[in-house]
Amino acid sequence: MARIEEMPESMRSHLATLPCPTFNTKPWAKGPALAQRRVAIISTAGLHRRNDRPFEGMTGDYRVIPGDCTAKDLVMTHISTNFDRTGFQQDWNIAFPLDRLRELAAEGLVGSVADYHYSFMGATPPEEMESAARRLATLLKGDQVDAALLVPV
Amino acid sequence: MGALAHYLEVEKIPTTHISLIREHTKIIQPPRALWVPFMLGRPLGVPDDSAFQRRVLLAALKLFDFDKGPVLVDFPEDTPDNAPNTDGSSLTDLACPVDFSTPAREKTEAEKVLTAFAHEMAQFRSWYDLGLERRGYSTVVSFSPDAAMGLLSDFVLGNPVQLPENIASTAMALRFAAQDLKAVYFEAVMARPDFSMTDPAEFTDWFWHKTAAGSVLRLVKEMCLSSNDQQLRMTGGRLLVPLDQA
Repeated sequence: MARIEEMPESMRSHLATLPCPTFNTKPWAKGPALAQRRVAIISTAGLHRRNDRPFEGMTGDYRVIPGDCTAKDLVMTHISTNFDRTGFQQDWNIAFPLDRLRELAAEGLVGSVADYHYSFMGATPPEEMESAARRLATLLKGDQVDAALLVPV
Repeated sequence: MGALAHYLEVEKIPTTHISLIREHTKIIQPPRALWVPFMLGRPLGVPDDSAFQRRVLLAALKLFDFDKGPVLVDFPEDTPDNAPNTDGSSLTDLACPVDFSTPAREKTEAEKVLTAFAHEMAQFRSWYDLGLERRGYSTVVSFSPDAAMGLLSDFVLGNPVQLPENIASTAMALRFAAQDLKAVYFEAVMARPDFSMTDPAEFTDWFWHKTAAGSVLRLVKEMCLSSNDQQLRMTGGRLLVPLDQA
């Protein structure tokens, strides 16, 4: 359960005291119908290709995950020990639903799946991720992505 | 995660976002968010249940149909009830209890824990290897079972620690070894023919409270906390044992 009220007190107080940013603007980017959209997954689970660099600190950087990546190629080095990893160890789709996304694209429910996906490590202060996120937007546009699916862990 | 959605949307990339902590999402107000009532680490809900995952994914993607926002929608389903095993099998039976009785040659507490750890690892190793052979891969990242056991044992005994080439510090090596060790244990459990874990908390509680491996990691934590090295103290304080298992 991710209902805060059902968590043990130690976790509840930890999450309750995490700073959350607020923003003065409410941006809203438009796009075509879902069946015409090109979707990329952006995870904050600290995922990367097995041969890529592990996440070592909270520096706001991301790793590139090619669209032909398979479960065998993807590992998790998120710094936190306070979330379940057994789901990912059983089935990578629990945190990185690329197989499900491919199925939706094959059925025509979404337009297509991006050539590249990305992962940050979510324990990072949001402001540390801002410049990387803005640079990432350029890459997404280059891949014709008009739907970013953000998946936490 | 909500902040990331905001930054991308400012750059004209439409986003939709799965939220695990509703309270945070309500504050950050990302453009489109689907709150799911699942445990941390499982944003798509249920492993090996493609129909359930598909419903979550479609619910998140359907938020692109809204004309304006911010939008925060609650996913209407919870994961299936976490029913306990009723077939008599129990993870508890698998662990090697640490024997604190006095042996012929007096051992330190750390040596006793490490001995139980070595026996336990030997028991799990064949299931882990079998699972690896069947699936063709493991989620272990940096440390093989032997390497993880070696590193943690050396640290507990105060021996010099051998770091892999791509790992810069003992603190980082301990963190990665701890995660890999948990992956080895879970993949070993998963390979057993009687594997039927319906509640992930069952594995977590078992690992941290019933296994010698959990005892070793608690020892490592205590040693880190009493170290002069700041990185080790931070690792011991926050990055080895979950807050709800401390």
